Amino acid sequence: MSQDTSSTEAEREETDQLITTDPGRGGLSEQDNTSTVMTGDTIIQSRNLDVFYGETQALQSVDLDIPENQVTAMIGPSGCGKSTFLRCINRMNDLIDVARMDGELSFDGKNVYDDDVDPVTLRRRIGMVFQHPNPFPKSIYDNVAYGLRIQDRDVDMDSVVEESLKKAALWDEVKDRLNESALDLSGGQQQRLCIARAIAVDPDVLLMDEPASALDPIATSKIEDLIEELVEDYTVVIVTHNMQQAARISDKTAVFLTGGELVEFDDTGTIFENPESQRVEDYITGKFG
Amino acid sequence: MATDTTTESGFGTVSRTKGIVFEYLTLASSVAGILALSVLLGYVFWDAFGMESAEIAWYGAFALLVVVPVLAFVAYTQRNPVAGEAALELFSTTMGGILGGLGTVTILEVVTGADIWFGYFVTVVAPLCALYLYGRSQPNASWVGLAMLGFLVLGPPIGTALLPITTTIVALIGGPFVYLFTLTIPGALVLRYVVEDYLELGDGDLTAGVMVAVALLAVPLVDRLPLVSRSVWAIFLTTLFAPLAVVVWKNLADRERRAGFAGPGVFAAGIGVLLVVTDRTALNGPTPWFDWQYVTTSPSRFADQAGLYPAIIGSVGIIVLVALITMLLGVGAAVFLEEYAPDSGLGGAVARFIRINISNLAGVPSVVYGLLGLAVFVNLANLGVGTVITAAFTLSLLILPIVIISAREAIRAVPDSLRQASYGMGATRWQTIRNVVLPRAIPGILTGTILALGRAIGETAPLIMIGVATTAFSPPEGIFSKTSAMPMQIFAWSSFPSQEFQHGVVAAGVVTLLVVLLTMNSIAILLRNKFEQEEL
Repeated sequence: MSQDTSSTEAEREETDQLITTDPGRGGLSEQDNTSTVMTGDTIIQSRNLDVFYGETQALQSVDLDIPENQVTAMIGPSGCGKSTFLRCINRMNDLIDVARMDGELSFDGKNVYDDDVDPVTLRRRIGMVFQHPNPFPKSIYDNVAYGLRIQDRDVDMDSVVEESLKKAALWDEVKDRLNESALDLSGGQQQRLCIARAIAVDPDVLLMDEPASALDPIATSKIEDLIEELVEDYTVVIVTHNMQQAARISDKTAVFLTGGELVEFDDTGTIFENPESQRVEDYITGKFG
Repeated sequence: MATDTTTESGFGTVSRTKGIVFEYLTLASSVAGILALSVLLGYVFWDAFGMESAEIAWYGAFALLVVVPVLAFVAYTQRNPVAGEAALELFSTTMGGILGGLGTVTILEVVTGADIWFGYFVTVVAPLCALYLYGRSQPNASWVGLAMLGFLVLGPPIGTALLPITTTIVALIGGPFVYLFTLTIPGALVLRYVVEDYLELGDGDLTAGVMVAVALLAVPLVDRLPLVSRSVWAIFLTTLFAPLAVVVWKNLADRERRAGFAGPGVFAAGIGVLLVVTDRTALNGPTPWFDWQYVTTSPSRFADQAGLYPAIIGSVGIIVLVALITMLLGVGAAVFLEEYAPDSGLGGAVARFIRINISNLAGVPSVVYGLLGLAVFVNLANLGVGTVITAAFTLSLLILPIVIISAREAIRAVPDSLRQASYGMGATRWQTIRNVVLPRAIPGILTGTILALGRAIGETAPLIMIGVATTAFSPPEGIFSKTSAMPMQIFAWSSFPSQEFQHGVVAAGVVTLLVVLLTMNSIAILLRNKFEQEEL
């Protein structure tokens, strides 16, 4: 195979061989490349996933297996489609009128784009944390309780709120002012509140779209510690621009490059120390992107 | 050249001449606008209060007795802001209570009547309030919102159907008792909460008991007063006396705030002394056209007996209906266009077409709406020439585009990140609108609606087209009866030959219109502040 980096077609074939199983056979078998793969049951699986925004193609036949109870990081330059992939998982792209997708994306063995899947119930099992902290202009308590209320959960609200805030490492800072506005919190606290809000409804998966990019280093490290703790209970998929962050916290890393193609997907250690693709190496070492 | 730089003073300078000229031009245009408005208002007030008949000496006495003491108090509050706060609280409670009481009397006693009010109180107002309170105490009971919506939609027809029964009940127990049950006792419950839990002043149960006892025990006294019926007493007790008593109590309890009583005190004393002095000496005071007689009597051929009462009631009745209609239709349409309507495809094209045309409709001259009202509501729907309901529908059509546009702006101003957060939590579209979008948009929606209502209350052209009377000698008795309206009456008077009508009576009418308008605006501001606080 040609090593010419300008030949994207050849590149794709190469990476395809590296990371995919044959979609025709449809098995859930682990990738058969040589690196040591941390085993975990696949919870989210995409096959030939294409996404278009109007005429622009945002993702090109992405095949990806996200393992359960691990942190999967997605890195790549801006506009490479990593956030788009994330928003496909819980069908947030449905909210964009011009978005259109082909291929298959299954969660827990079920294609989420099947007609009988209600995106609302899907989102109740797949929580999401956004790039900019977006607490509701309500009290801290009401923010965490929001999901429980809209889902009509018959639970002890106070204890779930407390437990979620503890899990999000925010309880000690806010326990005396639960009825104050969430907007009075600092940026880092707001983001942890958003995480508490997402985990209060006990989802299976937590999607994080650059959760620390708007925060200072101290708040970022708190969020990172938190993610490492959360992964014991949840599957975490995190989009990040920060390669050190991906290296620090993730078990698996997917590298997307321009044009919405998934170039390489492997154990984080392998990606950062010994990537198969020249382009991934160039990107990680900062030669471009 | 303007932007030439010189090397003499270090880095040189950049000319700011154009910027400074522009700054002063913008200042001049704003000053010109404010000046024109204040000259106009000053002129109108001068006429309405008959200021030209007052002697210089009276103005001197006025300045000495009222203006100087009040200014002195204001100067004192600069050093003691708490006292100023207390004075403002007392003053605004009094004024708000008086205006609120007058408004309630107008709406309940004249527009609806005790029997109709009681019917809808039982089927709509009371269940809604009870559910709201229950929802506040049990935030997890999500059926409450649905039940409230149910009462809101089904309550009015049920209330209408039950009107014969409720009317009979009212006939048995009498109007004053209706107000005792529907206003005084709920008011006492609110008072109990405010005194015991909110302000923590003292025993709430006792206070509420005292209020009800006062309501009943004062009846023999009230019966002797002219002009004040038992119903009016029940209403004013709830809107004015009870809140004022609590505010007085609160400010008396706090040592630092006690000085605040000096403010209203010197004002009232100054006015009182001024009245006595004017009365005892041969000093000529102003002879206001705008007085109690003016707002409580019917129009007359004689300027000094002319009154605006039927027109005030007509206008208030119309505007209440307009507010209801435009809030429901306007907010509904805005929510649909912003939240539900598709952006692309055929639906998107239709939605875009509707949006553009709503904006166009906002610019259509009001007389065209009058013609439309004449064709649709008078001739087609047969609602009657010049009735309250015809006028209300026509004016609603007129301001609906403005209400929709401002409500859409308010909804669009809700950050998309909040919607995303809500959808990301697995909320449905309705839950997102109900819990995130509307609470955040309501202050803006209210502001836009109230501005539009201000336009509606002053409209004359569409009312002429649908045949609203220029002069009515009795207020409308229901929504299907013929009415007059303030701008119509003012317009009619302005063409009277006598100078007294053209200046005094018309000016007093304009002042009345402004007072009603300002009252509406202040209610809207209060509501908006309340919602903004709730949003945190």
